[in-house]
Amino acid sequence: MEGLVRPLYSSSTILSPKPTNSSVPLPIQLLPLKPISSTLSLSTKLPLPSRSPPYVLYATQESQVSEVVNNETREWAMQDFYSLRKDVETVSERVEEIRASAGLQQLEQELLALESKAADSSFWDDRARAQETLLALTDVKDKIKLLTEFKTKVEDAETIINLTEEMDSSIDSGLLEEANSIIKELNKAIDRFELTELLSGPYDKEGAVISITAGAGGTDAQDWADMLLRMYVRWGEKQRYKTRVAEKSPGEEAGIKSATIEVEGRYAYGYLSGEKGTHRIVRQSPFNAKGLRQTSFSGVEVMPLLPEESLNVEIPEEDLDISFSRAGGKGGQNVNKVETAVRITHIPTGVTVRCTEERSQLANKIKALSRLKAKLLVIAEEQRASEIKQIRGEAVKAEWGQQIRNYVFHPYKLVKDVRTGLETSDVAAVMDGELEPFIKAYLKYKYSMAMSSPSV
Amino acid sequence: MKLSFTYAFAVPNFSKWIKPSLVRNLHQSVCCYSLKSAPSTSLKPQIPLFLRPPTHTATLSDLKKWHEWAKSLASSVGTAFVDLDNGPDSSLLCRELKWLMEDVTKDCLLPCQIPSEKLQGNVGLRVSLEDLYRLWNQRIEERRPFQYIVGCEYWRDLVLCVEEGVLIPRPETEQIVDMVADVVSDNEGLRKGLWVDLGTGSGAIAIGIGKILKSWGRVIATDLSPLALAVAAFNVQRYDLQDIIELRQGSWFEPLKDSEGKLAGIISNPPYIPSSHISGLQAEVGRHEPVIALDGGVDGTDDLLHLCKGAASMLKPGGFFAFETNGEEQCKRLVDYMETDAGDSFLSVKIMPDFAGIHRFVTGFRK
Repeated sequence: MEGLVRPLYSSSTILSPKPTNSSVPLPIQLLPLKPISSTLSLSTKLPLPSRSPPYVLYATQESQVSEVVNNETREWAMQDFYSLRKDVETVSERVEEIRASAGLQQLEQELLALESKAADSSFWDDRARAQETLLALTDVKDKIKLLTEFKTKVEDAETIINLTEEMDSSIDSGLLEEANSIIKELNKAIDRFELTELLSGPYDKEGAVISITAGAGGTDAQDWADMLLRMYVRWGEKQRYKTRVAEKSPGEEAGIKSATIEVEGRYAYGYLSGEKGTHRIVRQSPFNAKGLRQTSFSGVEVMPLLPEESLNVEIPEEDLDISFSRAGGKGGQNVNKVETAVRITHIPTGVTVRCTEERSQLANKIKALSRLKAKLLVIAEEQRASEIKQIRGEAVKAEWGQQIRNYVFHPYKLVKDVRTGLETSDVAAVMDGELEPFIKAYLKYKYSMAMSSPSV
Repeated sequence: MKLSFTYAFAVPNFSKWIKPSLVRNLHQSVCCYSLKSAPSTSLKPQIPLFLRPPTHTATLSDLKKWHEWAKSLASSVGTAFVDLDNGPDSSLLCRELKWLMEDVTKDCLLPCQIPSEKLQGNVGLRVSLEDLYRLWNQRIEERRPFQYIVGCEYWRDLVLCVEEGVLIPRPETEQIVDMVADVVSDNEGLRKGLWVDLGTGSGAIAIGIGKILKSWGRVIATDLSPLALAVAAFNVQRYDLQDIIELRQGSWFEPLKDSEGKLAGIISNPPYIPSSHISGLQAEVGRHEPVIALDGGVDGTDDLLHLCKGAASMLKPGGFFAFETNGEEQCKRLVDYMETDAGDSFLSVKIMPDFAGIHRFVTGFRK
């Protein structure tokens, strides 16, 4: 249990890309991807993953690493040494973990397969395919090299620690400095590797739009939808994302029928995309005099929040059915109602979006159109993925409609993710937005699934 | 009498500090708001709530109390107004309440964002809490239009200031601007021409067109009401279009005698409601909006027909016109006039439906 909940990243702050309060120094920076300063020993030996986005986020917090070293003459006290030793242990575990989750063995098999392909005498008969194979080969080689680098570097640090322990009378501060900087750089490099590997989907770095819809079950389900709304808003606030409840339609007695949350900030979609699915609650109903045990469902849908200009999807005008809410009666000067809702249906797919939150009709239309485009993009992306899977002959599980997580409040307390198996008994914390363990576990799970089905 | 409004109602330096982009950050500067420099004959438009400085405070718990009261008042309406005169129902009133909160609180607070455990704190308000009670009471009890309560209307991508005495722009009218955009998109002659918005009211159509023409063209907006012109001037300045849009006071074509036969386009949303319908209108409209902007005479076409007649002599060859009407009957009447009585002056006269499918606009070109 403990092992499962342990964060995948060195520090949980990696999930908080948008510092909003400038008065509080945050241990996180948004840095352009550039070679690490040449004074650091690892810079030239750690090639960046080829699929890296132009910008990556990485935590600069080095809580696990001892204080920043000012100069080489610094005296190494025993406690510094112990702290360094602990850092080395932690990083060593991290390296093992990442090597396992990146599927090193599979990568090596893949490498062999690709190499034997490349060695085939008929290899160059199909030039396009050969190019593709070579590219894949470079990719795999780079990745293996990087993972090997992680291992050698951490071993270097371990050797220094072991050496120092053996000759306990004298501490070689130069060596320890080196171990210290190895660990520091390694942490950064692993952070970066994880981010680029786990969040490399086409829209992962975008913001997200979460839509929550109460399932069947009346007031209980509507209350559950409201609880989920609060949970995601809290999560967003904790990550310092700009979180906004864009739309909320209240239930008759309590709770909500539906709500839309906009989460602005880098990688919000990447983190949240795994939340898509059906969420199930089991509890004693507060709306039932007898307090009977009750199960309710709510659907969560997640779409990328794409800036208008990036939605380069051309939808032919005739494919759209745009309807405006009608004020009724004669309209025009006869009526004054703030009814500005716009509904757009994409006729070929039947995908419908409705936008009511803006105060003018045109604004609602523009917003609805951009949501529709985002939705169609995601559908297209999923379609592509499922086509690839079908070609490979794997069973495709429908993601939507499948229950992805159970939240049991009664007769015992447990939140369990059906896909990753991750569970915690601290229901209250989860409902208060402590979602990182679940999100990270899912990203990891998704990543290892992708790894186990080669060359996607 | 010709009155060049640009001078009579000039509000110097408005554009310097009330720009839509700055709207949410206005603080002290609005406090010192004054029109001292304007001539004493000019009218002073009211500042909409969202542009006022947050000089009032209330505790979150008091604000929440107000919000709960306002909500229950809105809920108590049910469908009573719908049944009475096709007015708003509770859910529309609740939407208005949400927007009122947005406009009046310093950080655009939404009701659902008031955390129940943080009720001790204070919140900056742009009107006093007593005023909030008074305003919402006016909304429900007197049916005072929401747009007059907050002092603005969201129309297209604009936020237009409005107040009693000025017609609140309707969503249907948004389409007229699209029609103009269509027409000028492939016609440079029209894009660089002189356009007029007759009976401009808050200036909505003129500003919509002005933003499309940009510095290519020019718009003259006219209105009979000095108050409407003062409000329109405020709006024009807010969107920094005073170099493109000129405001003139007078009835229909009267202030445009110097432009006869020169106009590239005539656009208008004139009063078109038949006099006998005025008393049965939705209370927000009939009781609060200016009758002069609604009443179109016995069958509602008095002003529309006047505009059609004028269009023949005022438009230059190839010039475009678009008028909003009360519906199918009036549209037919206008087309009938254009095609028979007006001789051979117009071509491609068309009836265009609004988003609800009601025949709303008549458009065409001068031959």
